[in-house]
Amino acid sequence: MKPSIVQLVKMFLLGCVFFALVTPLLLLLLNSFAHEWRWPQIIPASFSLRAWSVVFSDPHIWSSIGWTVLIGSMVVCLNLLLGLPAAKALAYYEFKGKSLVETFLLLPILIPSLAIGMGLLLTMIRVGLADHWAGVVLIHLLPTLPYTIRILRAGYENIGAGYEEAARNLGASSWKAFWTITVPLLFPSLRAVLALTFVISLSQYVLTALIGGGQVVTLAMIYYPYLAGIDRSVTAALSLLFVLLPILLVCIFELVSHLSRKVVTTNQMRDET
Amino acid sequence: MKWFNPETIKPWLLLLPSVIVIGFLVGYGVWEAIAESFREWETGKWTVQYYEELLMKEAFWDSLFLSMYIAISSTLASLLIGLFLTRVLQRYFMNYRWKSLVWLPMLFPHFVAAYLIILFLSESGILSSLFYHFGWVNEIADFPFSIQSQHSAGIIFTYIWKEVPFVILMLLPIYQQFSPEEEATVRTLGGNSWDVFKTTEWPSLFPVLIETGIILFAFTLAAFEVPSVLGITYPKMLPVLSYQWFFENDWSNRPLAMAVMIITTLIILFIAFLSFWVTQRRRMHIARGR
Repeated sequence: MKPSIVQLVKMFLLGCVFFALVTPLLLLLLNSFAHEWRWPQIIPASFSLRAWSVVFSDPHIWSSIGWTVLIGSMVVCLNLLLGLPAAKALAYYEFKGKSLVETFLLLPILIPSLAIGMGLLLTMIRVGLADHWAGVVLIHLLPTLPYTIRILRAGYENIGAGYEEAARNLGASSWKAFWTITVPLLFPSLRAVLALTFVISLSQYVLTALIGGGQVVTLAMIYYPYLAGIDRSVTAALSLLFVLLPILLVCIFELVSHLSRKVVTTNQMRDET
Repeated sequence: MKWFNPETIKPWLLLLPSVIVIGFLVGYGVWEAIAESFREWETGKWTVQYYEELLMKEAFWDSLFLSMYIAISSTLASLLIGLFLTRVLQRYFMNYRWKSLVWLPMLFPHFVAAYLIILFLSESGILSSLFYHFGWVNEIADFPFSIQSQHSAGIIFTYIWKEVPFVILMLLPIYQQFSPEEEATVRTLGGNSWDVFKTTEWPSLFPVLIETGIILFAFTLAAFEVPSVLGITYPKMLPVLSYQWFFENDWSNRPLAMAVMIITTLIILFIAFLSFWVTQRRRMHIARGR
């Protein structure tokens, strides 16, 4: 009798978790297609594409999506460029002062990025990085890089140094060892970094507004005025864009890596025959 | 000397780009913020007047208490709920599909999460509509709950929804390492479920909980996005107050705005240092076998 009650409670909890995770997405979808949805209707009275057409008739929508994707991709690339070597060093080497460096690299998580952004603003204006996408990319490194290093380090620790060393001993260049051994093995970590970094970058309102000075118009910049408005369907449609963009990006990433792996294997097969 | 050994230098070379970028952004940014908070904005003379002024302002103290209250309660609630769910439902969360589902809230920007809370819990939201159909409210004004007042519940709910998945994803790797043998050992020695938790799980959970807690506390105390959507006009959370002062018509309040963020930084560093010290002491206890 007792185990079945425990099982029931677990099932109930699982149901609650499922509900909490999934209903927001459904609600946004429903809302974005709602034509008329007044209190106290539980579901909309009628549906239409009105909200979506309002969103895509906003004169800034496409350029803001463009800037968001561009800035987000630059942030992802810089994160990988900086994070991969740092994570490797922390995963495979023991050296003096290691724990100090670890703590140092976590500082951007602890110290408010708003404080840093405000402090950097005057200098950024002086050197021309303010009101420019490059300054925004730079400041977006603060809330992303510590997580990237963390995730990649765990990834490196999981695979261990052995495989790459073996490839090197068999005569592969370090470049080839990296692309054929490390990248495929690190794939789950790389995907996590891609998704998380991109999401964090497109979630930055205050840093982008501060450093971008209203000149760098990302999706977050046009989202806030809609938030203050009363048209819930339009805000819901815009909200969905934020969720769809990273999903789309991860899908593209998966597709490209799948295709490139196919190319690599067919090349290898050709080499062997 | 050993210094010239390439194997000694190599990790440093690998770390150098990240260290330079973070060192420059954080070091220079914080230094400039501190300098501007200690300088008279017109003449550039060094002064502590802004800190004196700040500490005399009631608006600052009200913001400080509000921020601490929101940061502490949403962090503790996220940790507790996350720990409870991970412990009870770990078997499911290790499944690939469930794990992807747990990732889902991570894909939502914080301001979108805040908007979701408006859709669900505001006076004219879904919950209010449901209440109407249950016959509990007759018109919008009857809805007993307000996301903006009532102890900033809207902000806290937003953070809980966003951070519980983060806590679960931080704790899952720990639970994956536990072996059933450890539990069996405690049980054969006559321990109950609580003993199992305390002796096998807690020692490895504790440092991760502390670390996750600090990350969440630092984030919620200093984040602008959620309170700027769901906050009330008075008192504001510290970052919102600081941002408002920063952009007020002339630049005369900029040093005050900087001072607010410097004090926020000090609070976070103090709490982080305190927790680090506690975990270190515990670790030494464990090492000594107690």
